[in-house]
Amino acid sequence: MINLTINGKQIQAPEGATILEAARANGIDIPTLCYDKAVEIYGACGLCVVEAEGIPKLLRSCSAKVMEGMVVNTESDRVVRSRKIAMELLMSAHDGDCVAPCQLNCPAHTDCQGYVGLIANGEYDAALELIKTKIPLPASIGRVCPHPCEKACRRKNVEEPINIAALKAFAANIDLNKGESYTPELQEKTGKKVAVIGGGPAGLTAAYYLSIMGHEVTVYDMMEKMGGMLRYGIPQYRLPKEVLDKEIALIEKTGVKLVNNVKLGKDFTVESLKAENDAVIVAVGAWKSSSMRTPGEELEGVYGGIDFLRSVIKGNPFAIGEKVAVCGGGNTAMDACRTAVRLGAKEVYVVYRRTRNEMPADALEIEEAEEEGVIYKFLTNPLSFNGENGKVKSISLQIMELGEPDASGRRRPVPVEGKTEEIAVDSVILAIGQKLVQGDVSELKLNDRGNIEADPDFFTTSVEGVFAIGDATNRGASIAIEAIGEADRCAKVVDAYLNGQSLDTRVPYISKRDEATIDYSDREKASRITPKVLPADVRNKSFDEVSLGFTEEEAQTEASRCLECGCREYYKCKLLNVAQRYDIHPERFKGVMPQKYTRDENAFIERNTAKCILCGLCVRSCKEVMNLSSIALHGRGFTTDVTTAFSLPLNETNCNNCGLCVQLCPTGSLTEKSTLKKQVPLDETYTEEFVDIDGKKASVLVSRYHGIVLRVIPNDEISRNAGLSREDLMKKITG
Amino acid sequence: MEKTTVDLSLLSDVLNEYAAVKGSLITILQHTQEIYGYLPKEAIELISDQTGIAASEIIGVATFYTQFRFEPVGKYLIMLCQGTACHVNSSELILETIKDELHIEDGETTEDGLFSLKCVACLGCCSLSPVMMINENTYGSLTPEKTKKILKELREAAV
Amino acid sequence: MRIVIGQGSCGIAAGAEKVRKALLNTDINAESISITGCIGMCYLEPIVDIYDDDNKLTRLVKVSEADAPAVAAYIKTGDKTMIEKLIVTDEDSEFLSKQTRIALRNCGIINPENIEAYIEKDGYTALKKCLCDMTPEEVIEVIKTSGLAGRGGAGFPTWFKWNAARQSQGEEKYLICNADEGDPGAFMDRAVIESDPHNLIEGMLIGAYAIGASHAVVYVRAEYPLAIKRLTNAIAQAQEKGIIGENIFGTDFSCDFMIKAGAGAFVCGEETALIESLEGHRGMPRLKPPFPAQSGFWRKPSNINNVETFANVAWIINNGGEAFAAMGTEGSKGTKVFAVTGKVKRSGLVEIPMGKTLRDVIFDIGGGMKTDKEFKAVQMGGPSGGCIPASLIDTVIDYKALGATGAIMGSGGMVVMDESTCMVGMAKFFLDFTAKESCGKCIHCRIGTKRMLEMLERITKGKGKEGDIELLEELCYSIKDGALCGLGQTAPNPVLTTIKYFRDEYEAHIRDKKCPAGECSDLIEYSIEADKCRGCTLCAKNCPVGAISGTVRNPHIIDTDKCIKCGKCFTVCKFGAVKKA
Repeated sequence: MINLTINGKQIQAPEGATILEAARANGIDIPTLCYDKAVEIYGACGLCVVEAEGIPKLLRSCSAKVMEGMVVNTESDRVVRSRKIAMELLMSAHDGDCVAPCQLNCPAHTDCQGYVGLIANGEYDAALELIKTKIPLPASIGRVCPHPCEKACRRKNVEEPINIAALKAFAANIDLNKGESYTPELQEKTGKKVAVIGGGPAGLTAAYYLSIMGHEVTVYDMMEKMGGMLRYGIPQYRLPKEVLDKEIALIEKTGVKLVNNVKLGKDFTVESLKAENDAVIVAVGAWKSSSMRTPGEELEGVYGGIDFLRSVIKGNPFAIGEKVAVCGGGNTAMDACRTAVRLGAKEVYVVYRRTRNEMPADALEIEEAEEEGVIYKFLTNPLSFNGENGKVKSISLQIMELGEPDASGRRRPVPVEGKTEEIAVDSVILAIGQKLVQGDVSELKLNDRGNIEADPDFFTTSVEGVFAIGDATNRGASIAIEAIGEADRCAKVVDAYLNGQSLDTRVPYISKRDEATIDYSDREKASRITPKVLPADVRNKSFDEVSLGFTEEEAQTEASRCLECGCREYYKCKLLNVAQRYDIHPERFKGVMPQKYTRDENAFIERNTAKCILCGLCVRSCKEVMNLSSIALHGRGFTTDVTTAFSLPLNETNCNNCGLCVQLCPTGSLTEKSTLKKQVPLDETYTEEFVDIDGKKASVLVSRYHGIVLRVIPNDEISRNAGLSREDLMKKITG
Repeated sequence: MEKTTVDLSLLSDVLNEYAAVKGSLITILQHTQEIYGYLPKEAIELISDQTGIAASEIIGVATFYTQFRFEPVGKYLIMLCQGTACHVNSSELILETIKDELHIEDGETTEDGLFSLKCVACLGCCSLSPVMMINENTYGSLTPEKTKKILKELREAAV
Repeated sequence: MRIVIGQGSCGIAAGAEKVRKALLNTDINAESISITGCIGMCYLEPIVDIYDDDNKLTRLVKVSEADAPAVAAYIKTGDKTMIEKLIVTDEDSEFLSKQTRIALRNCGIINPENIEAYIEKDGYTALKKCLCDMTPEEVIEVIKTSGLAGRGGAGFPTWFKWNAARQSQGEEKYLICNADEGDPGAFMDRAVIESDPHNLIEGMLIGAYAIGASHAVVYVRAEYPLAIKRLTNAIAQAQEKGIIGENIFGTDFSCDFMIKAGAGAFVCGEETALIESLEGHRGMPRLKPPFPAQSGFWRKPSNINNVETFANVAWIINNGGEAFAAMGTEGSKGTKVFAVTGKVKRSGLVEIPMGKTLRDVIFDIGGGMKTDKEFKAVQMGGPSGGCIPASLIDTVIDYKALGATGAIMGSGGMVVMDESTCMVGMAKFFLDFTAKESCGKCIHCRIGTKRMLEMLERITKGKGKEGDIELLEELCYSIKDGALCGLGQTAPNPVLTTIKYFRDEYEAHIRDKKCPAGECSDLIEYSIEADKCRGCTLCAKNCPVGAISGTVRNPHIIDTDKCIKCGKCFTVCKFGAVKKA
């Protein structure tokens, strides 16, 4: 035995062992990408480098042998620097998306590609469960979300984005309408108590995930029912409250205690809750309508947008008369004008200082409102609300035009000198935003915008043990999914806090393709499908839900349009795993990609050389283990490629489908197709099982997700050389 | 250029001599290229068959070395030296001149099949830089005018 | 009378073969005309040496076919007036007289195609001495005394490698000569093989005897057809004489000899890549250890040395290790051959004792600049080396002293540059080379050299940004540390040395978008100086984009918006009226 020291630890290793073997045998992990016991040592990736005292060069630990008295450091600054640059260089030439842009653009990082793919495959339960790992209120959110995911969806470059939000609602509806809806498995009780102030999307989400993690959670809310703005700020025709009730009931089922009609500052304080709990999360929202600072706002008949919507939901609608002007261009403005129509107003105007193109509201909402009779007054801005006897009678409007783009990139509206207009109204609804009611949170430090100052990643506030999320914090009111994303991450942070730890919830490095280089010309066009809606002349008189939701056929067809941007190997990508260990910035070395992004498919393997990192494992195993050399390294230098003779498709070569190359590929350059019709990146489990092949016991790897067998992969000499098709192997497992 | 049918019998002497000698792949490929002017697909398949080396590996070796070609070349193969001394003595101008005169890029062959252009590693005639080799002959101390003249003469000689 | 024509590749390229044919067409007795290899005065080729009956030499230089009758007349009459202009000047003669030749001792003197010519020069006496009078250990001891170090670039002590291979267990061992001279700008190995192939064979056989190898292999670049031809011929002659084969000189020592031609891959100069290539594989370096001395060609103990190293061996055996060690410095013994090229007046092969200075080579022997521009830098060691600036011209030729500049001794390429060479462009040139020659195995070299090249391309196009120099440096050090083999580990040297000595030039490209040397086409502008322009219209006729306007006999003007900076006008103008700035 040889005695040596690795990272200060005295260890023994057999003579002839490599440093890598010695380290691993002692639980010291050294990253590698080109090393595998199945094949000869290669030394290409250079990630396994270590520093040894007295040796000036870095050693590749995969090949350097242990020596008596050697002192090795596997994590010295020099080693880390070398690995970091190696990874930066490697990733600068790795052309692939780890996850799809839809997921990245979702503030809650919902795995859109995952559930859309599962829906395409008819796996609705699995889809719902996947959604619920990020959103506890999917039926509600699927209906109201302005879906940033769809803005990022690359299908827009073919024709139109996937209707992701409606697909989410589809999967959630199925679950809600089942006898027994999905409830997650609860972890063991921790005995820790958490109070959540505010029962809106943020508070409920945080409560749900903390409860699953075994904590005792109570949600306190000032209104008579839970749901916050989802209940009191969104009209019934868009989100039926029965749907919200059912989802809240499922949250309650996880053990969350819901307490209504109690108000912060009146019935309790942050301090008093802190005294009774191990942590407090403040998610009080933004419940005050913003002012336009226009003369006449104080007149009777001038209402705040969310105040108006709440009055309707509570059953005591404000008196709005026959002529209503709604000021604003966002979704609240749309909710207000369409609600006004449904209350029987004859003339409903939307006053907006830019044009339709700049409206922040969802395009579909804008269109549906118009169908329902709403009149748009684009390029107008209220100068004053004019009253008579203290009651609003008309609005004076300044006519605007579009000038130069502003910081947001939208063209700035500028007044047209001397051009004004006056319209007669019975009421005015100001839907231009909402703010935190500051007095409620006087115990916490506010920022200069008047919102609670919370760390954007750790959600901590000025008071230790008190966390804050959602509309009440930092930049103020935003969309529900934003609050839900924060709540999900905050739950993890609080869980860590309760365990005396700290958790960084920032998204670690992932590989992204350069959008400008993507070619869509080979994609067949297929139009986006939108769920059917009630006819305009029916819905403008009723608060029934406008959208009829997807039929199963519609949902599957729509989901099948997904381009599958995210990498199938995401969950087991060794390359990504190593990349995320180091603080890497490959954009420093941005340059041309060595290979074109192509997909070469055979019966069960898909090759994409653009993702190849030239570790050589596939080529070497094909030669050294299988003695086939169906693939080889071609060319040299930067553009070296792994390919077949004469670039033939794999199934025209001597490849015997053993799949070893795929198994050894440390990234998504080689992937084995699953049994699913639509290939979805899923967090599968792999188990070794044994099957009978010609009377011999052969090892296979079986991958499953949600009980579905996705792959059966040969795992020893017998199964690799049996020449069985994947279907035959599959039958041996599924019968 | 039209590829003619490959007469594989021309390879038999080479394969008889080297196919069984281990480590001879590069030598076999060099002889093959000498015979055909390039490495025809059919020849690679035959070499694979006779040596037992997988075709993908043979191509892997052939594509590693700059000497090997997979397409026929013109009657005159211009190899323009890319060495340091040539660089310092403006070989770039010579490259431009050849490209202008022949309307081809590095690695291409003229439509009439007369000239192929290949930029190559240092030819070792640094004192005569800039230098090019056309088939067996080396031409040194090139200037754009001299280059044009050489190309003109070769073209005339071919007609 | 003997007439000897220099027939190295350079000489032939300069027209030596045409001269030979022309001389054969005169009435000179064909028997008296013979050839020799390369004397190294490449800038004077074709060279014709005329020895009179007293063996007195008259050297004619830059001889052309048209001179053949004059030469014939001289030989007939002894009248020198006709050939006066061809006789080498005293100044040019100094190019040779100032050198000390060991490795090149027979080059350009003997007929490389005739073994007898070599034997006449005491050829194969050293081998015979070793085989008959010395043990292998004694041979290694002499080499150790000589201080001979690897001339291929790394400068590793030759005896140490031989000893390691000798000690290595194994019945079958290989002695390999690396003649894959890939450094652009170096051609001494070619010259040795073309001009004195038996010297190489003798050195190799001595090495084979010393380590106990029964097989000798030469790996020669495919770009050297003449070298391969002459070496093949020499091997056949030696075999015929029993110098190669079984029981050489009647001793127990047997050694066969084989030539393998490379196929165009610079990385095969790296010894493990060379072995992969010898075995018929892609020339991708193997991990070390194991070193070739333990496990090399066909996994057998192997020793690899470079051509020039072997070319010194016979001389050392005959003259003693002390004689060799008497030349040079403390750490660098003997002589070294340099290929001096570029903007130097006298270019060619220069062999001098270690310890001389760069100034001795470039100015004293090389004669300084051939242009009227100032000496700016000398590039040494090719893509693995670096640029040494004019301020360090007195650097001593010694492995350590040259290494301290950031460059390396390398294989001996010395490319001299004047003010018109852009140093960023020079770094780009070498990175373009290494990026193309990278085998692609390890990340640092495969992607790192490409990314460095892209950065340098951006800088030379005026698209560099603040921080680029620092990023380049960071990448350079990381590649040196992380690359698998010598090619990658040394690839950053041209960048690092140019940044070290010419940082201001990088900054000018990045900050001012200017190329001080006026070489980077994207950063220069062409204009016509009206007072110099004669209105000949030549520039306008040659402009490929019609950017030049003007009428006959009137000054022309370049439309800078249309100009693509191809430089044609600059090249064609006969009056120096086109200015680039």
